[in-house]
Amino acid sequence: MDGRRSELVLTAITFLPLVAAILIAFTPKKAEALQRGLALLMSLIVAGLGIALYIGFDGASAAAQQVVDVAWFNLPGKNGDIPVHFKFGVDGISILLVTLTTVLMPVVVLSTKVHIDKRVKEFMIWLLLMETGILGVFLSLDLILFYFFWELSLIPLYFILGIWGGERRLYAAMKFFLYTVAGSLLMMLGVIWLVWQTGSTDLVALMDMTSGLTASEQTWIFASFALSFAIKVPVLPFHTWLADAHTEAPTSGSVLLAGVLLKMGTYGLIRFGIGLFPAAALAASPVFMALGAIGIVYGAFLAWAQTDIKRLVACSSVSHLGFVVMGMFALTAEGMRGSVLQMINHGLSTGLLFLLIGMIYERRHTRDFEQYGGIASVMPVFALFFVFSMLSSVGLPSLNGFVGEYLILLGTFNASPLWAMVGVTGIIFGAVYLLMCTRRLLFGPVTVAANNKLEDLNGREISLMLPLVVLCLWIGVAPTPFINKTAGSIDAILERVDAVRPTQSAGLLPASTPTQTSSEGAEVR
Amino acid sequence: MMALLNNSAMEFQALTSADWNGGAPMLCVTAGIILALLAEVLPGFKPARHVAFLASLCAAVLFEMRILGAPQGTIFQGTFSADRASALWGILFCFSGLLAWLYSRRYYKEEKPFLAEHDILMLCSVLGMMLMAGAEDLLTFFVGLELLSVPLYSLACFRRVRMESVEAGLRYFLLGAFAAGLFLFGTALMYVATGTISLAGLRETGLDSSLSLLGVALMASALFFKVSVFPFQFWVPDVYQGSPTPVTVFMATGTKAAAFAFLMKVVFLLPASAAGILSIMAIATMAIGNLGALIQEDLKRMLGYSSVAHAGTLLLVVTSSLIGDPQAGAPLQAALYYMAAYVFTAAGAFGMIAMLEGSGEHFTKLESLRGLGTRRPLLAGALSIFMLSLGGFPATGGFFGKYFVFTSTLRADMTVVSVLGVLLSVVALGYYLRVIMTMWMRPPVEGQAAPSAYRPAANFATGLCVFFVLALGFAPGWFLERFF
Repeated sequence: MDGRRSELVLTAITFLPLVAAILIAFTPKKAEALQRGLALLMSLIVAGLGIALYIGFDGASAAAQQVVDVAWFNLPGKNGDIPVHFKFGVDGISILLVTLTTVLMPVVVLSTKVHIDKRVKEFMIWLLLMETGILGVFLSLDLILFYFFWELSLIPLYFILGIWGGERRLYAAMKFFLYTVAGSLLMMLGVIWLVWQTGSTDLVALMDMTSGLTASEQTWIFASFALSFAIKVPVLPFHTWLADAHTEAPTSGSVLLAGVLLKMGTYGLIRFGIGLFPAAALAASPVFMALGAIGIVYGAFLAWAQTDIKRLVACSSVSHLGFVVMGMFALTAEGMRGSVLQMINHGLSTGLLFLLIGMIYERRHTRDFEQYGGIASVMPVFALFFVFSMLSSVGLPSLNGFVGEYLILLGTFNASPLWAMVGVTGIIFGAVYLLMCTRRLLFGPVTVAANNKLEDLNGREISLMLPLVVLCLWIGVAPTPFINKTAGSIDAILERVDAVRPTQSAGLLPASTPTQTSSEGAEVR
Repeated sequence: MMALLNNSAMEFQALTSADWNGGAPMLCVTAGIILALLAEVLPGFKPARHVAFLASLCAAVLFEMRILGAPQGTIFQGTFSADRASALWGILFCFSGLLAWLYSRRYYKEEKPFLAEHDILMLCSVLGMMLMAGAEDLLTFFVGLELLSVPLYSLACFRRVRMESVEAGLRYFLLGAFAAGLFLFGTALMYVATGTISLAGLRETGLDSSLSLLGVALMASALFFKVSVFPFQFWVPDVYQGSPTPVTVFMATGTKAAAFAFLMKVVFLLPASAAGILSIMAIATMAIGNLGALIQEDLKRMLGYSSVAHAGTLLLVVTSSLIGDPQAGAPLQAALYYMAAYVFTAAGAFGMIAMLEGSGEHFTKLESLRGLGTRRPLLAGALSIFMLSLGGFPATGGFFGKYFVFTSTLRADMTVVSVLGVLLSVVALGYYLRVIMTMWMRPPVEGQAAPSAYRPAANFATGLCVFFVLALGFAPGWFLERFF
C-alpha cells in the first residue's frame, strides 16, 4: 500500500507537467489567461509535491528512495538480454535539485507575464515539457532512461531560445544545441560500451560492476561521460555557448538555464563520473580541480569586462560553476557537500539576478550599463532586491553563497592548497565585478532622462521573488538541515572513492570524516 | 532457368510445400500486378486497380509474417531463402511501396491518365526487391535487380512533361545500366574462377584467385552504386531531386534496403583485408553526405544528401560484419533495425515534401517552410519528428538504429571509426535542425500562402510513419522480440 503510494509520487512529479502540457495543447490559441493559469496551477501542485518529497526524504540513508521500477524493454547483450527499466528514485544527490526545479517552476511561469507576449500557448507547453525533461534527468536510475531524458531535455530549451530569444537567437540556439549534442553523442559511445561490457543498465547494479572493467576502459568511458557533462556545466574550454545562450534567452529561459539546466552537468559529473568510475575520477581530479579553479578566475575576469548586464551575470555563472566542479573533484566530504549545496545556491542567487535583470529590461529595453545609473533612487524596492541577490551571489556570510563556497574551499584546501588559493582569489574578483555592476546600475546620479519615469516593482514581481529570497536566507542562516539531506549519498560515493585511493595519500586527509558522518547517520536512525 | 544452372540434373522438380509457403508473398505481389493490369483493361473495373494494389501488398505482408513465425529455409532448389531476415526485409519493401503509393495520390496532375502504369511499375519493383533480399545465387539476384531497376527508370521520368524528371530518369538509367553490366561481368568472372554462382557454392569453394577477387570487386561496385556509397554516390542528389517525389520516397527507402539486404548476405565474399577500405568508404560517404547537405537550400536535395550519409552509416555495419562482431547476427539485426527506422522516417520526410509540393512547387525550398510551425503545426510537428529521427535523437526509431549500429562497430573494435561517425552525425544535426528552425523560429514570408493540408491519403501515410518512428523509438523491445 505504502509502496504503491511512494511509486506515485515521483511519477506524478515528473509527468504532471507533461499532462499539463498536453492539456494546454488542446486549449484554444487565444485563451492565453487559461494557458498561463493552467501552467501556474500545475507547476504549483508539482512544487507542493516536491516540497513534500523533500520533507519526507531521509538524508542519512544512501539508498535511492521512493523508487519506481517498471520493466521497459530488453536490449540484446553478451550473456542474454539486458533488461532496461523505467526506474526512478531520489537520493541525497538529486533531492535538492529535484526540489529546486519544482520550486523554481511556478516562479518562472509567473515571471513570463510581460516578456512572453507572443505564442503564449507554445511557450507554456515547452516550459512544462522542460520541467518533465529536467526532472527525468535527475530522477532516472537507469542509464538508457537517463540518456533519453538527457537528450530530450535539450529540445524545449532549444525552442524557447529560438522562438522567444533576442536578436541573435537562432545562432545562440544552434550553438547551444550542437555543443551539447556533440558531447552527448560521444557519451552514447561510452554508454554503449558500458552496457555491453557489464550487461546491465541499472545504475545501482552498475556501481558494483564498473570495478570489473579494465583500467583503460574505465578511463575512456569516464572521459566520454565527463566530456559531455563538462560541456553542459560548462567547464572552462567549453564555456562559450553559455554566454550566448544566456544573453539571447528570454528571462524565464535564463532562469531555468542557470537555475537547473546547467546543474544537469554537475549532477552528472557526481553521479555518473565520480559515482560510477571512482578510480578514473580520482586520477582525473587534479585536472578537474585545475579547470574549476581556472574557470573561477577566468569567469570572473570575463564578467568584469562585460558592458551588458545579462552577459555579466552569465559569465559569473562560469565562475560560480567553477567552484562546484573544483569542490566535487576535491573528493573530500566538505568539498562535495559544499559542491552539492552550491548548485542550489547558484540556482537561487543567479536565478534572482536574471529575474531582476529581466524586470528592468521589460521597463527600459536595454541591458547596457551606459543607459543606467542611479536606479536606486527611482526604484528603491528593486534596488533592495538587487543588492540582496548580488550579496548572495558574492557569498556574504549569513547568506547562502557563503556556506557553499566556504565548504568547497575547505574541502579543496585539504586536497590541493594551490587550487584552493586560486579559488579564493576568485571570490575577491567576484566581489569586485558584482559590486561594480551594482554601483553602475543603482547608484550615482540619474544620467538618462528615461530612467526617471521607471515604475518600481509591482506585487507580482515581488511575490514571485520572495520564495527564492527566503531560501537564500534560510540556507545562509541554517544550512545544516539542507546539508544533512545529502550526507548519506555523498558519504557512500566517497567511500567508493576511498576504497580505490592509494593508501599513502589517504593519510593526508582527515580520517575522521567518513566515520563521523556514518555515526551521524546512525543517530538519525 | 536458375534452377537449371544450379543443378547439373536437367530436370524440373515439382514445387514442395516449402516452396509455396516461402514464395507466397512474391506470388501475392505477382497476382496483384496481373489483377491491376486486368482491371485497367476490362471496362468498368478501373477502381479495382487500387484494391488489387493494396490487397496484394497486405497479403504479402501477412504471408511474410507467417514466414517470420515459421522460416522455410532455402527454397526453389537452393536459389531463394525464405528466412526471417528476408521476410523482414520483404515487410519493409511492402511498407515502402505502400507509403510511396499513398503519397502519390493527388500528387500527379498532367500524368493522371497514366497512373495505372505508375502503380503497376511500383508493384514490379517491390517484387524485384523481394527477390533481391532473398536471393541465394547471383543470377536470381540479378533478375531481382533488373525487375527493380527497369520499372524505376521509367518511374523516375514519370513526369514526362518536366525536364528535370526526364533528366533524372535518363541519368539513373545510364548509370544503372552501367552498374548492371559491372554486376554481370563480376558474376561471370566468379563463375569462371569457381564454377558456381550459388552463394552456398561460393562459400564452399572460397574465392582466393585474383580472377574471382576481381569479380567480387566488380560485383561489390555495382551494389555500392545501388546503395549510393562513396565513390558511387554522385547520382543520388540529382536523381532524388529530379524524380517525382513519391518515386523518391520509394527509391530512398526500398531500393536502398534491397541492395543492403543482399550486401549483408554477400559480405563473406569480400576478403578480410577489405575492412580498412570499407571503413574509409563509410566515413567518406558520411562526410560527403553530411557536408553536402549542410549547404543545400532545397529540402529535397538536402534529404538526398542525407540519404547518402545514412548509407555511410549502414556501410559501417557491413564493415563490422566483415571484421566479425563477437555477437554473431548482431550486425544484421542492427542493419535491419536501422533500415526499418529509416524506411519510415525517410518515407515520411520525403512524403511531406510530396504533400507540400501539391500546394506549389516552390515548397521544396527550405526558405518557403518559414512559419510553417504556426500555420500548420501538425504538419510541421511531423516533419520535426522525422528530422529528429534522421538525426538519431532518443524516443525516435533513428536513435535505436544508431545505437545498434554503433554497438556493433564498437564490438568489432572500430573505435576510431565510431568516434568519427558520431562526430559526423553532429554535423548532420546541424542541417536537420535548420529545417526545424526554419519552420518554427522564423516568421512566414509575407504574402506567401500556407500549404493546404487536405490530402487524406498522404495524411494517413504521415500518421503511419509518425506512429512507427515513435514506436520504434519507445518500444524497441516489442519489435526486437517479434521481428528481429
